[in-house]
Amino acid sequence: MDMMQTVHTLTSITPARPWGLDIPNYFWFTGSSAAAFIVSSFAHVFGMKKFKPIAGFSLLVAFVLLVAAPLNLIDDLRQPGRMINFFLYGWENFGTSPMKWGVLLLATYPVLILAEALVLYRPFLVRRLQEANRGVTRAFYKGLTLGRTDLSEEALHKDERLGFILGAVGIPLALCVHGYTGYILGVVHSSPLWHTPLMPILFLASAMVSGTGLLLVILPVAQRFFTTTGRIDKEVMTALARLLGWSIIIDLVVRFFWLTFAVAFNSNERYRLMDFFGYHFHEILWVEYVLCLLIPMIIAFSRLGRRLPWQFAIGFVAAVGVWLFRWNTVIGGQTIGKTTAGLLSYHPHLFGAGSIGAVMANWLLFVALLCAVLLVFPWDEEMDRHYGKELES
Amino acid sequence: MSNVRRNFLKRLGAVVAAAAATMASASPAKAFSSRNPGRDAKDPRYVGQEDKRWGMVMDLSKCIGCQACTAACKAENTIPDRVFRTWVPEYELGRYPRVRKAFLPQLCNHCEKPSCVSVCPTGATFAREDGVVVVDSEICWGCGYCLNACPYDKRYFNPLTQVADKCTYCAHRIDEGLLPACVESCVGGARIFGDLNDPKSEVSRLVSGAPSTVLNPASGTRPQTYYLGLAGELQAQPSGPPILDDLARKRDGLPAAEWTTKA
Ligand code: SF4
Ligand code: SF4
Repeated sequence: MDMMQTVHTLTSITPARPWGLDIPNYFWFTGSSAAAFIVSSFAHVFGMKKFKPIAGFSLLVAFVLLVAAPLNLIDDLRQPGRMINFFLYGWENFGTSPMKWGVLLLATYPVLILAEALVLYRPFLVRRLQEANRGVTRAFYKGLTLGRTDLSEEALHKDERLGFILGAVGIPLALCVHGYTGYILGVVHSSPLWHTPLMPILFLASAMVSGTGLLLVILPVAQRFFTTTGRIDKEVMTALARLLGWSIIIDLVVRFFWLTFAVAFNSNERYRLMDFFGYHFHEILWVEYVLCLLIPMIIAFSRLGRRLPWQFAIGFVAAVGVWLFRWNTVIGGQTIGKTTAGLLSYHPHLFGAGSIGAVMANWLLFVALLCAVLLVFPWDEEMDRHYGKELES
Repeated sequence: MSNVRRNFLKRLGAVVAAAAATMASASPAKAFSSRNPGRDAKDPRYVGQEDKRWGMVMDLSKCIGCQACTAACKAENTIPDRVFRTWVPEYELGRYPRVRKAFLPQLCNHCEKPSCVSVCPTGATFAREDGVVVVDSEICWGCGYCLNACPYDKRYFNPLTQVADKCTYCAHRIDEGLLPACVESCVGGARIFGDLNDPKSEVSRLVSGAPSTVLNPASGTRPQTYYLGLAGELQAQPSGPPILDDLARKRDGLPAAEWTTKA
């Protein structure tokens, strides 16, 4: 028997941990938002034609995810009424507190996505403005066009350039918005599960998986039920499934480095991590890795990956898998004892702050916001235009 | 530059100047501060005793596990149920038949490089000039970053204030020239408190005179609470049974606390 294991705690106190369900959920939202933004940039910035029809749609998804995300943070606070303190004080810790970076990132990034959406959809919004006959509606669309109603060739060209610039600035910003959440955990040296410089990369890689997965789930629903043609774009779905497959490969490679460095070699942290991974071995191996990463990856590259039901299914499973990864990291990292022996366990509440109910409410809000944004922005017209062109050529 | 733009800039300039003037004329405690208003106002409670460096020595050979310190701290600082600023866990070391008990009084180590301070996004947690690490309960917004960052689990959310809380070395007492409540009540004289800057103080003599150590030195936070006679086994415990309190709740049919030790 290991000498160390002969230490028995007869009495002590159980330490409490601050971060509940809200935090993995927040990380999942920001990550998926960054990924959806990058998918949209594939078309706008890198000129990848196959993603053109869904570029606007994924931009809107990215926006809604990012609006809903910080609500998780506010719910997690013990004194949400003191939000203003976050902006006013503590700037001396800017260099050492990645949480502080959120002030700048969460304030600029959603504005940037919204600006990009307004620029890209301007011609459609101008048309709606022209068609509108009620004063309120006119004022609404006038506001959305920011007063620029010129539809000349020159103005449209300017839009395109502006869209490119916003997209190009947005890519590093999107990476930062999710990367900083990885930093938040990575710098915490008291948790062996978190303390790795790979954490931001790990978060970004898995974010590409969840973001692409989410698009695979909501895109066909939106196209089938909320467009005039009701047609699901098989080609784009296949491209997304492929992207999912590649994202999973990258994710697996990063995780391989992480786990081998953390657990395989003789470091001090290793013993705590072995304890942790040993306890969760089956659930992590079979659910997180095999079911939610390996199988979707194989399907994505196989012939099944061209069939809609499978695309939908692997998108769903992979997105859930990344949620579980966020959970295992955030909650799991906190279960590792610091001054107490062994592991802790977490029992989330049903109601109240940081509860299962609060996270469900956040999801409902996300769906509601998504519906609202999809109602206001003419993403379906944009898609029709692309598909119309396709038919002509 | 067009006239419109120039006018706009002029007006913007005026607004900024007015805002700056209002801020400057406000009382210093309320003035805009990028750190923490109390610190900028040089409130003595926030500054501490400038030439001092408070520290504590725990002589484990003298601790009898009576929890007088735990009780004194709770009474002195009005600490609610189920949370503690200091406590003394009890361990069993070795294997039958060669077993012995060990007590390990613990409290915030008032680290020289405290990770709780570096991560705090509101500046609510900071170290005074005399090294005492405190939380401004008016500024803290309860994000819990410091709770996770402390390698010693020495912070908790106070159910009364709903913000981060921990040992202050009884700052309100030491500023009056008194000892921390736990030190004053320690039956065995295991807790010794004093100024580490003063070579003649008892803490300095103990720290330099006998081999001492701190908890988990590898954490890099440079704790200023020193231990004499700390058993190596206690430094890192990879596994252990559930804590009695969690078992008792289960036995009594009470719902489990949000966080418990693993059964
Ligand atoms: S022991 Fe923890 S709470 Fe106390 S100063 Fe060190 S890091 Fe901060
Ligand atoms: S809980 Fe309060 S003291 Fe701790 S890091 Fe957050 S704001 Fe700072």
